[in-house]
Amino acid sequence: MSFEDSEGTPIAGDLADGSPAAAAGPELTTRPAPPPGASEEEYANHSYKVYPSGRRNVVEFDNTYKSFGRNQILRGLTMGIPEGMVSMILGPSGTGKSVCIKHMVGLLYPDSGDVRVQGESVPDMPDEQLFEMRKKFGLLFQDGALFSSMNLYDNVAFPLRQHTEKSEQEIEEIVMRRLTEVGLGYSRDKLPNELSGGMRKRAGFARALVLEPDILLFDEPDSGLDPVRTALLGELILEIHREMMEDAKAQKKPYLPTFAVVTHDIMSARRVADYINVLWRGRIVEAGPAQDMLNSDNPFIRQFLAGESQGPLTMD
Amino acid sequence: MDDLFAVPRGWLESFGEIVKFCARILGDIASLRVFKYFGEVLRQAGILIVSSTLVIWGLVFIIGLQCGIEGAYFDRSVGVPAYAGVFAAWCDLRELVPLCFGYMMAAKVGTGIVAEIGSMRISDEIDALEVMGISGVTFLCATRLLGSMLVLPFVYLCSIGAGFFASYLAVVQQIGDVSSGGYFLIFWQFQNPPDVLYSLIKAMAMAIVIVLVGCYYGYTATGGPVGVGTATAKSMVFNIVSVHVIGMLGTQLFWGANPRAPIGG
Repeated sequence: MSFEDSEGTPIAGDLADGSPAAAAGPELTTRPAPPPGASEEEYANHSYKVYPSGRRNVVEFDNTYKSFGRNQILRGLTMGIPEGMVSMILGPSGTGKSVCIKHMVGLLYPDSGDVRVQGESVPDMPDEQLFEMRKKFGLLFQDGALFSSMNLYDNVAFPLRQHTEKSEQEIEEIVMRRLTEVGLGYSRDKLPNELSGGMRKRAGFARALVLEPDILLFDEPDSGLDPVRTALLGELILEIHREMMEDAKAQKKPYLPTFAVVTHDIMSARRVADYINVLWRGRIVEAGPAQDMLNSDNPFIRQFLAGESQGPLTMD
Repeated sequence: MDDLFAVPRGWLESFGEIVKFCARILGDIASLRVFKYFGEVLRQAGILIVSSTLVIWGLVFIIGLQCGIEGAYFDRSVGVPAYAGVFAAWCDLRELVPLCFGYMMAAKVGTGIVAEIGSMRISDEIDALEVMGISGVTFLCATRLLGSMLVLPFVYLCSIGAGFFASYLAVVQQIGDVSSGGYFLIFWQFQNPPDVLYSLIKAMAMAIVIVLVGCYYGYTATGGPVGVGTATAKSMVFNIVSVHVIGMLGTQLFWGANPRAPIGG
């Protein structure tokens, strides 16, 4: 495989633990039956093919089902997020991408099936363990989800004040470094309602970074942003990932930093993704390293990644 | 038949949900988990003092004036103007001060909690807290309840003072049918020290219910800004009814067997 990850290093042979066994992704050998109440035809374009990423999965969905009333969102989802990569979860609107993120951090639980983070089942965790597990995550919400009663500085400092014993001076150092990285060093005293949508997203990004999480999730970071700002945010994501990879390797952390970005913006995916999961009708159509996916001959993947109107995906 | 029971079943389900949620908050306080966020407890207590105390005292003061004036004129009309102190001793302490305290708590504090926590819910701020490994129930709800428990007994005791002072002003200084000494003779004769404690228990029961209900409706708000508005209105209805139910039960429990006025029959 000739594809390279966001660091510019080849993926194959760059395993976290160096073992070929760890490279195994959720490869499906037999074609799963369609979910209850659905026809085989509806899932005809789901090839369920998973191209190997060369990395172990830090997050795994195993035949996960989730409904809201009569709305079936996840319908037997089996998906992996490989370690140390910038992964994209792509799919048409309303297909369950944000629901996936909420399952990873235990904000939602599956009706059946399992979600595992670093090998541990999230639905089985007692509350205390769940709160501990969540400290491994950083999550950038669609609108940043900054606390409206606090200024930018206090928002970013909040996780440090709650979870560490650092002095105010150390906290200020970290917060200002992160705020400067996202280009908001000059806005530290502003309240969230004084910021533009893009600034709120960047501030949310800074807050998600301060605890140096193993896994960083982005829920539609490009929604509501103009194309230039979307591109700049994409670059920022790549740059921070690269930096965190270097730090993790230098510190020999047990898990390399993993980014998962939920989006339906194809341009972002092309620019940022190391690995792509394409989700439709609550299941993965195909998944694999970006290059493999961009060369896929699956008609749905081709239509979606090209953003064309002709193909299996219609307005229905 | 199913339709007939659907509405009461829905009410019971909601009530069960509220009880379960409240038990979680009380559990956070009883297990001392809330003390992890004691800074937030103090902040909430401070907010309560600064933003709600004066308005509670103001309402109680006005009701104290009303009670004094009406009591004085009624006693004058039946030929016992010297007994105007009875109204302050009974009506203020046992009924009106707790009720007015409950009304203002529901209107100012309860709705404020629903609106604040509800807005945080719909703007994903609570999810953000949870993802940071911080329990939203503990950080947002248990801290508010503990903050209220720390502050409100003192606020309420001062409210009683405000009500008594207002009644005294109206009866003795404004209407003047009875001397200050005569007023206080009757005023103290018709109450015992435990009455203050009972009154305090009634008011604290109201306050705790109001804060818990506010937290529940805020925390479970859905459906955008309209949903927060609906939740605020629902909490107000629930709280006003609760204030009266607690008021009635408290009176029956604490003073129902009083030989001077056997309210319980």
